[in-house]
Amino acid sequence: MTQKQLHQQRLIREAEKAVMQMNTRRHFLKESAMGLGALALGSLFGSCASKGPQSSSVVFDPAHPLMPKLPPFAAKAKSVIYLHMAGAPSQLELFDYKPELMKMDGQDCPQSLLEGKKFAFIRGVPKMLGPQAKFAQHGNSRAWVSENMPHLASIVDEISFLKAVTTDQFNHAPAQLMVHTGSARLGRPSIGSWATYGLGTENQNLPGFVVLTSGGKNPDAGKSVWGSGFLPSVYQGVQCRSEGDPVLFIKDPEGMDRDLRKASIDAINQVNAEEYKTYNDPEILSRISQYEMAYKMQISAPEVMNINNEPAYIHEMYGTQPGHGCFANNVLLARKLVEKGVRFVQLFDWGWDSHGTDASLAIDLGFINKCRSVDKCITALILDLKQRGLLEETLVVWGGEFGRTPMMENREGKQNPYKGRDHHTEAFTMWMAGAGIKKGFSYGETDEIGYSAISGKVEPFDIQATILNQLGFDHEKLTYDFQGRPFRLTDTRGKVITDILS
Amino acid sequence: MKLLSVIEFFGHFHPLLVHLPIGILFVALLLQWMNRNNQYVALAPAIPVILLIGCCMAFASCVTGYLLSISDDYDKSLVSWHMWMAIAVTLVSLVLYAKEKNPAFAINKKILSAGLFVLLMITGHLGGSLTHGSDYLSRPLQQIFSNDTLANATIKPIANVQEAIAYTDVIAPILQTKCYSCHNANKQKGGLRMDEISLLMKGGKDGKVITPGNADASELIKRLLLPTDNDHHMPPKEKPQLSESQVALLHWWIGNNADAQKKVKDLAQTDKIKPVLLALQTITETQKPRTDIPAAAVTKSDEKIIDSLKARNIVVLPVAQNTNYLMANFVTDSIVDKADLQLLQQLKPQLIWLKLQNTNIGDDAIMQVAQLTNLTKLDLSNTFVTDKGLAQLAAISGLQYLNLVGTKITATGVAQLKTLKNLQWLYLYKTGYTSKDWSTLKTLFPKTTIDTGGYQVPLLKEDTTLVKEPVKK
Repeated sequence: MTQKQLHQQRLIREAEKAVMQMNTRRHFLKESAMGLGALALGSLFGSCASKGPQSSSVVFDPAHPLMPKLPPFAAKAKSVIYLHMAGAPSQLELFDYKPELMKMDGQDCPQSLLEGKKFAFIRGVPKMLGPQAKFAQHGNSRAWVSENMPHLASIVDEISFLKAVTTDQFNHAPAQLMVHTGSARLGRPSIGSWATYGLGTENQNLPGFVVLTSGGKNPDAGKSVWGSGFLPSVYQGVQCRSEGDPVLFIKDPEGMDRDLRKASIDAINQVNAEEYKTYNDPEILSRISQYEMAYKMQISAPEVMNINNEPAYIHEMYGTQPGHGCFANNVLLARKLVEKGVRFVQLFDWGWDSHGTDASLAIDLGFINKCRSVDKCITALILDLKQRGLLEETLVVWGGEFGRTPMMENREGKQNPYKGRDHHTEAFTMWMAGAGIKKGFSYGETDEIGYSAISGKVEPFDIQATILNQLGFDHEKLTYDFQGRPFRLTDTRGKVITDILS
Repeated sequence: MKLLSVIEFFGHFHPLLVHLPIGILFVALLLQWMNRNNQYVALAPAIPVILLIGCCMAFASCVTGYLLSISDDYDKSLVSWHMWMAIAVTLVSLVLYAKEKNPAFAINKKILSAGLFVLLMITGHLGGSLTHGSDYLSRPLQQIFSNDTLANATIKPIANVQEAIAYTDVIAPILQTKCYSCHNANKQKGGLRMDEISLLMKGGKDGKVITPGNADASELIKRLLLPTDNDHHMPPKEKPQLSESQVALLHWWIGNNADAQKKVKDLAQTDKIKPVLLALQTITETQKPRTDIPAAAVTKSDEKIIDSLKARNIVVLPVAQNTNYLMANFVTDSIVDKADLQLLQQLKPQLIWLKLQNTNIGDDAIMQVAQLTNLTKLDLSNTFVTDKGLAQLAAISGLQYLNLVGTKITATGVAQLKTLKNLQWLYLYKTGYTSKDWSTLKTLFPKTTIDTGGYQVPLLKEDTTLVKEPVKK
């Protein structure tokens, strides 16, 4: 036998052995030690992975991201209208009546209130500033409301006040992010995004999350307060306008008719569908569904967003100014949107930052005008929702991003030209109404001068948890996997404020 | 004070160290066992070394454990058992080491090893019980097999709160549900027992927790009111917390000298506490079921029917996860045709919420809607329903919510529904209703919240004027 033959024979034997080995019991057991182990490990890990239904209560379907979904619990609220007074209104001139503070008016602020504290603008020792409005008790609930909101005072029996809200951010942008995204830093999804992620939207011809701004400026934190963060982009708030086209570029350009539009969207979708076949990226499916929604919105949005087809007495009730972009128009629009099944409507009204640096930001001038511009329409909103049977299933939330100091602001140690108050994080007032919230109730108390919360203290996380609770979610279970861990709106905090639930 | 901190510091190493002797000694025992087989004879020299290391670690754990036990309060009897068992582990491992080193030592190695194994198990378990609670291991099992009475204790409504005995009927149930689990005959955190009033008054190891007549000075109230994040807050933040009204009740009772015998009516009552006391007659503190879903179970509906309704642009969904009850909403479909209604008929057992607002539905079609007798919510706002069709709805006996806003119905039509005893909300805004019908409707529907709308927000002078700065001279 030559060397070559020997070699060949050995190869053949080796191959035969290899084949035979595949069929031996010993080989099977030996090899499967690792294989089965890995399988078992996989299933063990699988049970602690967050993909399971126990962890997140939401199933995400990329092809139909806005498909209406069911919440884990029967929801009290189908929709939310969130009225954000951007800039932070003064609780001391609206709902938190502090006669003791009046007695201290003009005196130097006691050192005990300043030690170890940081303020946005107050430096040195500021003077105390008594309430700049007259207060009275209203309704059967005897709620204190100032003369600045005479209309709202008439419906306090529909509302639950939260008198001791606190936050840990004293600048507008982080505080706004905190209230709406549960984090003072950028990059987290907003509460409306979480809601539409969890529930989709019932009206497939309209976006599920609509944002309306007024007051001449977007909120300080920019569009991130209605951004989708790490959630699929389809869940971000759609900013609409109450004058002109409701959504920019919603009209077909001149010379393009509806059929041509349809044909072009079909063509784009076809290209996208091909692309999906190649890459299997679920975001492409989301894109296709967004094109389809945009096409449908071209018809439905202008109709819903047009407040001119409302009767005159409704316009009077809300005090709208058709043709102008104002808060009252947005409030009326919010009702129309909710009526049409939009899940989350977020309103921002800028101009509440009453520092006293000029007349429009003075607590006894501009602030009162701001109050007047929102009082009538918010009252109308509550009553209008109520008479349409919608308040039972619509949660209305009102608030700012923080409160204002019981001290008069002395910017950089110098007296401001007008009466104003600095940013304050330790106590402010918010209120909620509708959808399973107690009527005519007040929760939480502040100390004699409204400086800090003494009971019923809640933080933005608690409010978020409560909103999600009313929408039918356990805020601890509404999660999204990102960067290797499940994220949630309330992060590691948040307690449902059960005391205000009816 | 410094010394205490030092003790505490070293004591806190106990959880770190304690796992070492367990692991190391187990390895020694394992090697001993393997050593019986000739194949592993080579491992024999390692055994005494490992035993010695294990023994040293056990000793270190004992010392740190003792320091921890004096710097923190643990259940005394459990701690002493744990301590003696741990000392036994150390000693037995030392003896076993001696035996390995000097086989002539007249003692049975097998019994010694078996003994060490058992001691390790017991000590470890006791340690676990101390840190995680004695029912840590068995709790999941208990939840499967039994309904634990203590954990499931609920507060029952009181028939007549003024006649009830303040301590026994009002206070004790609160303490029972929220405090007893850590302050009882078996377990006395902080040396405090709360399950008997005499012991509660006696207080814990830091003194009295209740100062009769002065609630604000009472440690009990102080602890309850601390922020949840504070270490001294009670109950600990992971345990169920007292509600605000429960704290108010405790505050009120202690303020009234924490009396054990008197009835509620014999104690002073402020305006603040009256509604809280009254509330005890009706609601329980446990969360009310958060649903409007019927309690009875229902079979799953046919997916095909739901799919064909969805294909017709109708939103059909279960009202919540884990229930088969359905809701249907015609939000994007304003034409309700025969086929839609026929499909809905097939969902009759499951369908409880139906929204037909802004549709073309009229009196003829209402016939079919009225056959959906499981409905609890029905929205017919801005439809063509009239009094004639409305009469049919009397068949839906469980109806709770009826929205007729913007229809042509009148009070006479609504009166036909007076047999609907469950009706809670009735909306009649923009209908044929007039204000003189109010008293009739109110007598026919005494329990229903009727909203006839037509609210107005008057125009005040302030609404259209602006505040201006006074002109300076």
